[in-house]
Amino acid sequence: MTDLAQTTAEAMSLLMSGDERLWSIIQVSFSTTVKAILLAIPPAFLIGFLLSICRFPGRWMLISMFNTLLSVPTVVVGLLLYLLLSRSGPLGDLHLLFSQTAMVIGQMLLAFPLLVAMSLSAFRAADRNAWETARTLGAGPFRALTTLMYEVRFGLAAAGIASYGRIISEVGCSMMIGGNIMNHTRNIPTAIALETSKGEFAQGIALGMVLLVLALGLNFFVSLMQRRGEITT
Amino acid sequence: MNKNPRPLLGIRKLRKQFGSEMLLDIDHLDLFAGQAALLKGRNGAGKTTLMRIIAGLEKYNQGTFILDGEGVQHGRHGPQSNHVIYLHQCPFLFDTSVLDNLAYGLKCRKMDRKQRDRKVAEALRWSGLEHLAERNAKTLSGGEKQRIALARAWVLQPSLLLLDEPTANMDAESREQTSFLIRRLINEGMGIVICSHEIKGDNSLIDRVLHLEQGAILDSHNLKPIDGLMGKITPLAKEG
Repeated sequence: MTDLAQTTAEAMSLLMSGDERLWSIIQVSFSTTVKAILLAIPPAFLIGFLLSICRFPGRWMLISMFNTLLSVPTVVVGLLLYLLLSRSGPLGDLHLLFSQTAMVIGQMLLAFPLLVAMSLSAFRAADRNAWETARTLGAGPFRALTTLMYEVRFGLAAAGIASYGRIISEVGCSMMIGGNIMNHTRNIPTAIALETSKGEFAQGIALGMVLLVLALGLNFFVSLMQRRGEITT
Repeated sequence: MNKNPRPLLGIRKLRKQFGSEMLLDIDHLDLFAGQAALLKGRNGAGKTTLMRIIAGLEKYNQGTFILDGEGVQHGRHGPQSNHVIYLHQCPFLFDTSVLDNLAYGLKCRKMDRKQRDRKVAEALRWSGLEHLAERNAKTLSGGEKQRIALARAWVLQPSLLLLDEPTANMDAESREQTSFLIRRLINEGMGIVICSHEIKGDNSLIDRVLHLEQGAILDSHNLKPIDGLMGKITPLAKEG
């Protein structure tokens, strides 16, 4: 118990001292995940919307495929990307392996099925009359879509936050295609795994605290939005 | 009599099937600007489907639409959107203020802010709901929602307004207030098709009664297709 308290105090001290290595890891984490989520959201929400309104052969197969991808282990995604991006792989000439770009691609692939599945649920739960009302009042497809997105904004925000939670805390994919290189591709989860294996618990706990504060902040933000929505309606 | 001899919207050989069942089989129907038509028929006759097809919200199997004298084959969300507005039985108001709801269609038409604000203020006065301007539209009662939806349509001045059971599930007071606005719309000369069980065909404001039976439009008095099987409707003189 004393050890835990002492290590936590050391972790706090590390965070407060502005330790360069520690903050570099945090910066890599946020830089890659924010890029990944921002790039994944537009196409994923569009696919979620199209799957909710369009009826075409193979639609249920596509939905089942996205649902299946939700449970694919991150390390499997990492392995597939590794095979694609390694020198002998079909995309080896791009020299992306062990780069932040590769991490962003991996995190996008991890977030994508969750964003599609959750946005599909949100759009399905929306009143179909919202879309039709927008269209009959003269809105073009894009404007009607943004109107519908506003109507289901809490569901879409939950999709974004759940997906962000998945990619900022994943280890397998980042470790395999990022390589855990200090000041380059070492992010919070890979650093925690490494430091813990070395017995350096203070840094692991400090980084874990950052993740916890982030999770708390995001959930607080969603709750606040939902509360404001309840008050105005 | 119809106030404009040239039909605003002509429908030719419209067919709509659900599976093997032929729901709509209308050979010829003209809707005129400034005319109030009451669409009647038993439950499930296809009244709502017909209105949704006219509004461009529903697919159909076959048919031609003539808009302002020009034939158009349109699918869902056809070219009528700037001329025809459809109001659902339970009108949908966006999760924002009443003002923003009224301004929505004007924004879609890229009207400048000053003019838009003036039009929205007019619409509020027209509906008699100025005191609700800042309220979130989701918090309104059913009758208030219907009146705001009517004002939202009125402000866009469509050639044809399609009202699907506009007074259904309302208490007497709300029904009277909504009916008052519909009467104003008719008096202002807007072309209207109302699908309602509560408005009678002999209502003095109704120019025509369209009876939908077994997919075809019938004359409301002798229940035979006008002009034989082609089902052409001759607009009735205003009754009363």
